[in-house]
Amino acid sequence: MEKEKLEGMLIDYIDNRLNSVDRHQVEQELVRNPEAYKLYEELKEVMHLMDRSARLEPSIKLKNNFEALLAEELKSEKKTKTVFFQPTLFKVAAAVALLVICGSIGLYIKQQHQLIADRDRELKELQLQTQKMFAMMGNDQSASQRIQGVNVSLSFAKADDAIVDALVKTMNEDPNSNVRMAALEALSRFINEKKVRDEIVNSLPKQKDPIVQIQLIQLLVKIKEKGVVDELQKIVDDDETMHAVKDEAYSAIMKLS
Amino acid sequence: MKNRNILLVIVAMLVTGWASGQEYKVAKNSGRLEINLGKVRVEGHNGNEIIFTSESGKHDRDERAQGLRSVNSMGLEDNTGLGINVTDKGNVVEVNQLKKTSSPDIKILVPKGMIVSFTHQSQYGGKATFKDLTNEIEVSAQYNSIELDNVTGPLTVKTIYGHVEAVFDTNIKDPISIVSIYGFVDVTLPQATKANLRLETNYGEIFVAPEFKIDVETKNGMRPISSDEVVGKINGGGLNIDLTCNYGKVYLRKK
Repeated sequence: MEKEKLEGMLIDYIDNRLNSVDRHQVEQELVRNPEAYKLYEELKEVMHLMDRSARLEPSIKLKNNFEALLAEELKSEKKTKTVFFQPTLFKVAAAVALLVICGSIGLYIKQQHQLIADRDRELKELQLQTQKMFAMMGNDQSASQRIQGVNVSLSFAKADDAIVDALVKTMNEDPNSNVRMAALEALSRFINEKKVRDEIVNSLPKQKDPIVQIQLIQLLVKIKEKGVVDELQKIVDDDETMHAVKDEAYSAIMKLS
Repeated sequence: MKNRNILLVIVAMLVTGWASGQEYKVAKNSGRLEINLGKVRVEGHNGNEIIFTSESGKHDRDERAQGLRSVNSMGLEDNTGLGINVTDKGNVVEVNQLKKTSSPDIKILVPKGMIVSFTHQSQYGGKATFKDLTNEIEVSAQYNSIELDNVTGPLTVKTIYGHVEAVFDTNIKDPISIVSIYGFVDVTLPQATKANLRLETNYGEIFVAPEFKIDVETKNGMRPISSDEVVGKINGGGLNIDLTCNYGKVYLRKK
């Protein structure tokens, strides 16, 4: 049997706390193992001593000292009544903590709201800009207002369908060449989008305005749109086409084919 | 006595001047004035009326037509006595000439706040000049040359064969968009003008006064060098000014 376990069992044996099986086992161990017996003797001695010392009454002096100490302790306890207030302090602390937590949650929510509000504002701003753009582009009294409207789109990083449609309509139908030109210029920023490219290609046969025709042909050459060669040939063959436009169309055919 | 004579002469001159320079007035100071004449001189004034005057000499007057009215195939009649028809359509005042080829010399004084629109497609015509105007000006012409002096814009000018000269006053209002296919475009700006410039020519050249330091727009961090297009800012940018010529030259001068 290991020493620790044996020791533990011996202590229990001395205190008479073992069941019959363990008791038997310990007794056998004691008979068989002289060392265990020696340990048993020692433990018995120690425990006997302990029992005796436990029964020792504290001296009167000690007792008085102790009581004095106790009284003093109680007195000092009274003095440090803050201890008594500690729960209140905790309450205050808890309240402060609560405030801080609530505050930070509130702040967080506010920030989130702010973010949402910001996004909303940005969206609204964009909507407003778009509305402004449409309103200006719809001004049939003033060509410069329509150009300004078209120029609003220059601040957009991306153009949604409504904006593209509006610009295409202006490019194809506005009575003023300068406005059409501005619309084409604005659309050419989004030339990498398929819809815009298609609309620009489709615009070629519709355009009768020489200034826009020339710009359009140059743009189509720039983006290497080979699909328009037939249409360019028609422009070249058309007697009504202005000379400058014919030249441009012809040079475009050369470049594209 | 001598003073009285001078006074008489002056009065006589004024009377004859008033008699020979016929006038036609339209009380209007807002909306659009649409001018379709072969040539015209338009000037700004502080009144509340559009004032049309003929600058043709006496030789234009036909004694035989006295008491008759000039009419044409478009159904227009000379309602001004100046060889032009002026029709007030509410928001728009239309001005057309009666004769198909030779245009009368008409001067028009325009109140502030009206949009001035000049349109002429026929090859029979001359110069259209615009002077001292803070109004918005729209020009859409084929053969006419357009001269603008002391204007502020907004301005949209297109001419195919004509040239365009424009001298701007301070307080420019954008957009300024000038296009000519065969003519030149010559623009004078005050040096302090803050603008986003786009100068473009396909087969011509671009000249800029050295006082204008153009901050050329970079593309992907690179400065594009091209002979036919300059896009950039002067004085930090601001007003949109587009000048385009296909075959002509672009000149940008300092005032």
